[in-house]
Amino acid sequence: MKRLDHEFRLPAASSQIVNRGKPLSFTFEGRSYEAFAGDTIASALAANGITTFSRSFKYHRPRGFVSLAGCEANTLVSVNRVPNVAAEWHVLAEGDDVRAQNYSGSLAFDWNASIGLFGRFLPVGFYYRAFFRPKGAWRFWEPFIRRMAGLGKVDLEVGHGYFDKAYLFADIAVIGGGAAGLSAAIAAAQTGNRVVLIDDHPVLGGALNYTHDNRAADMRRDLISRLVSLPNVRIFSGARCEGLYSDNWLAVVQGRRLHKLRAGRVVIATGAFEQPAVFRNNDLPGIIFGSAAQRLIKLYGVRPGTRAVVFTANDFGYGVALDLAEADVEVAAVIDARTSPPASTLRSAVAGKNIRIENSTVISEASGRKRVRAVRLAAIRPGGEIDKAGETIECDLVCMSAGFAPNLALAAQAGARLVYDARTAMHVADGLPENIEIAGAANCIFELENAMRDGAKAASTQKNGNGAGEASAITVPGACPIVPHRDGKEFVDFDEDLTINDIVDSVASGFDDIQLLKRYSTAGMGPSQGRHSSINTIRLAARARGLAEQEIGTTTARPPYSGISFGALAGRGFEPVRRTSMHRRHLEAGAKMMPAALWMRPAYYGSAAGAATAIAAEVAAVRGSAGLIDVSTLGKIEIRGPGAAEFLNRMYFTGHLKQQSGRARYAVMTDATGTITDDGVICRLADGHFFVTATTSGVEAVVRSMYFWNAQWRLDVDIANVTSAYAAINLAGPHSRAILAMLCDDVDLAPDAFPYMGVKCGHIADVPARILRVGFVGELGYEIHFASGCGEHVWDRLLEAGARYGIRPFGVEAQRVLRLEKGHIILGQDTDGLTNPLEIGMGTSGSSKPFFVGAAALNAFRERGIDRKLVGFVCDAGAELPQECHLVIDNGKIAGRVTSCARSSAAKSIIGLAYVRPHKAEPGQTFSIRAGSGRLVTATVAELPFYDPENERQRL
Amino acid sequence: MPPIETRRSAIDAGQTAQHAADPALKLADLSLLPRWGIKGSGIWTWLDKQGAATPARDNIASTLPDGSTVARLSPGEALILSSFPRGEAMLAAAFDSLSAEGQDACYPVPRQDSHCWLVLEGHNASLALAKLCGVDLAADRFAIGSVAQTSVARLSAIVIRNERPKNISFSLLADSASAQYLWDCVIDAITEFSGAGCTIEALQPPSR
Repeated sequence: MKRLDHEFRLPAASSQIVNRGKPLSFTFEGRSYEAFAGDTIASALAANGITTFSRSFKYHRPRGFVSLAGCEANTLVSVNRVPNVAAEWHVLAEGDDVRAQNYSGSLAFDWNASIGLFGRFLPVGFYYRAFFRPKGAWRFWEPFIRRMAGLGKVDLEVGHGYFDKAYLFADIAVIGGGAAGLSAAIAAAQTGNRVVLIDDHPVLGGALNYTHDNRAADMRRDLISRLVSLPNVRIFSGARCEGLYSDNWLAVVQGRRLHKLRAGRVVIATGAFEQPAVFRNNDLPGIIFGSAAQRLIKLYGVRPGTRAVVFTANDFGYGVALDLAEADVEVAAVIDARTSPPASTLRSAVAGKNIRIENSTVISEASGRKRVRAVRLAAIRPGGEIDKAGETIECDLVCMSAGFAPNLALAAQAGARLVYDARTAMHVADGLPENIEIAGAANCIFELENAMRDGAKAASTQKNGNGAGEASAITVPGACPIVPHRDGKEFVDFDEDLTINDIVDSVASGFDDIQLLKRYSTAGMGPSQGRHSSINTIRLAARARGLAEQEIGTTTARPPYSGISFGALAGRGFEPVRRTSMHRRHLEAGAKMMPAALWMRPAYYGSAAGAATAIAAEVAAVRGSAGLIDVSTLGKIEIRGPGAAEFLNRMYFTGHLKQQSGRARYAVMTDATGTITDDGVICRLADGHFFVTATTSGVEAVVRSMYFWNAQWRLDVDIANVTSAYAAINLAGPHSRAILAMLCDDVDLAPDAFPYMGVKCGHIADVPARILRVGFVGELGYEIHFASGCGEHVWDRLLEAGARYGIRPFGVEAQRVLRLEKGHIILGQDTDGLTNPLEIGMGTSGSSKPFFVGAAALNAFRERGIDRKLVGFVCDAGAELPQECHLVIDNGKIAGRVTSCARSSAAKSIIGLAYVRPHKAEPGQTFSIRAGSGRLVTATVAELPFYDPENERQRL
Repeated sequence: MPPIETRRSAIDAGQTAQHAADPALKLADLSLLPRWGIKGSGIWTWLDKQGAATPARDNIASTLPDGSTVARLSPGEALILSSFPRGEAMLAAAFDSLSAEGQDACYPVPRQDSHCWLVLEGHNASLALAKLCGVDLAADRFAIGSVAQTSVARLSAIVIRNERPKNISFSLLADSASAQYLWDCVIDAITEFSGAGCTIEALQPPSR
């Protein structure tokens, strides 16, 4: 029979959310349906008569919505290839492609549904016990079980989405936008507090939106109008508080944004969850909570069925019956589990509509294949036993109002203990931390006016307790009987397909502690996290163990409250990148950039295909004429003050007390264990003024170390990290002096006036500069430091001036070759976290300094001796090129490793640095390196440097 | 200081070419305007000698008569920003004559080059910055003259609430080497609020 669009839609006036003037279409399982703007997937499917949304986890039974509050696995669907979207929360957009989950074949005919026939042979925990023997069996079964397990499929082809994070701040955060939450927010704001209200529903009001109370609509209107008039309230609808952490730090997800909310106080007004009645086949589509039926009718204008039975254990069920009747649903009967329910206006009203009421009765069984078609009733005997099933009532809708569980997940996350109250069959929170309050239904207060008062009180006082002690406020007593059936399928946990027997069997198997019971049976471990199963599981466990419910305890609530997408957790990635002030020039010159710590540096200039040629040309330019490299990433530190020389003398392995002004020294820093932590050049600009360079990645740690030590020494020095303030260029090559002379007229560059390791201050191309005559690459060279804002200006002028000499920029790769030819080490490459100065050939004869950081450890190393030494080595030019970290092999055993290696045109061989055993460190000795092919390459220890052994070129 | 014509902001000019005429939230690059840093136990005496009113406690900024700002970062450190949009500062000459070596426990720090300077201005500036910064910068909590030394988009930064009574205006100062990164992050954050880059001249002038 062809279904009509909107077959179950009520007249327009009945819905609060949907806009009948804006129709839209979407597809479910590939078939097109109509909806209205504001419809969720669940409401639109219900309006079109679709009640099966998915298949259950274990038995693949057809399932529809139960709560219409987004709390169960049954309503998780895939939307536009995003899995596990709650059908009750996703507001439809034109063209949405909605797919059901967890079935094989089709949603209507699931091949795996036959598993249900074998349910008797698949008891709880069966796979723990069945698939681990014989040895190796798990490997065989695992793929089948993995295929059956899980919910939804991740689409690996889906593109990246834009997610981000934001901070929020509030004096008072109110979680929940129902009667209590709205009242709390208003009361808090009226006393001048900055308030943030978090509500996970698309519209504010909570139960005011749908509960059967004539005053509710006016109350809601009044509360919201008062709230929105307050300028100090921020309202977050459709937002969910996923975690309440220490010091009232809350994680709130709204759409694709994770808010990190810091609140002075928190009011938890999160309401209560209806609980399912437990009877055979209670999971059939069409069996829903009473509140779900009311939501469907009043929020979305959808009739939930045509002929209903209401199963209740409280007066709320009568309100549901009246609302169903109002929506033109035939109410066949109200089945009340209570023996003698007290008189009430609601009962009278139901009776007045000639609706049949049966007291002391339960539903013992429902029947139907893909939707409930009938229920069978059973009477409760005076002693509480349940009779055999009797009368059958045909219906396509069963509304359960079996009781409530206050939503205390956030309170429990905050550290509250949940205590079972036998009078109400509900938990209350005990021992709340300071500055957290609970209000409304979450506080077991269900009557609307009381809930509003409770909310206002929570916001305005430090009551820090719960309302369970206020007996007059409690209007929902007792628990609905659990009705076992000899044929089973009385579901306690819909997410995990757990029945009464599963819980009872778990206890009988020895997993009787609530924590063990949870893990063994998996009760409460599905997406609903026990919101609809915890209470009944506790009641069954108590019955099985012969204890009272309060003696069973509860499981531990942990964040997140519900599922959070990885996108929301990741948010927008913030990964700072540092660029030198010549970055644009490098790109324009075709540089291949590479990361160096957070910096970007040119590796070489040219295409990747021509990298080797480009690097060789850059090396040749420096050796033959001139080159310039951007060394702005070097760490730079100003040390100033009367104690500057003494300070540096203590900080560094090298000596600086007698260092002359205008002179630079290579310096090595060690830590208290004698390990080399950094190196650089220390320039004395004046008596009390040193300019220190440090490695690109080490400068932050160096500065921290300096602050640490001087906090103890209290020397009169100022330490300033000026790394970013200064750009730096190393101009190197035999023509570098001539090039520099064209741009600098206030510094005498003559060799005698400005010798190797000299430091001068002057101007280059009108820019003030500190010029260091240093030779990292082994040629005449100048390291020029100047204001970073002038980077492009100085770079351009140097290139212009050097054009006649064929100057070219060189990158990190060429510099590595050049410095290796000179035998200069790179910290972190040629050293590691254990290298001490003795291992790199420094300080072997002792130090004249009485103290420096690491001196004592280094003296101990001298006495004990070293286990390895860094040496230069050469290999035949035709040999396989060893790589960094290739192993040094001595007599078949690992004896060290290569730290640097390259083909050198200057040395006409392969050259490198490697750690070897000290007895193999003398020039001329040989050792083997296991190269990439696995073959051993013979290496010979060589004197350093490989190039210009007399250092004549850098002293030109 | 190097001549201004030798300087260039680290933020790509391509961004400024796309500046909107009058966005609801404005982000401007002030990196080429003068600013100075000063450290040491003698800085307050030195500033007093220059006739500059200094903030009474840390993390407070005071505005000088010419519109420039003195921000007290710690008991021994201050940051001085020139006025904007005009880039004036009564302390400029004094700083130019201050020895790099320091004198009387007063050490200059090259903030002009160590830190880029952005100004974010507009009604929703606090909300936009809440996407990048964990400090509560709401107008009623972070008063004019407040200074936060914090993290913005995971970058160490100084945030100063500028004296612009008719608007909400923040100065953001962070590592100059990450200027482009910071600019991109802030532009991304303000797009939601109809924000865009603008020129310095488009910022609200001081009321005095």
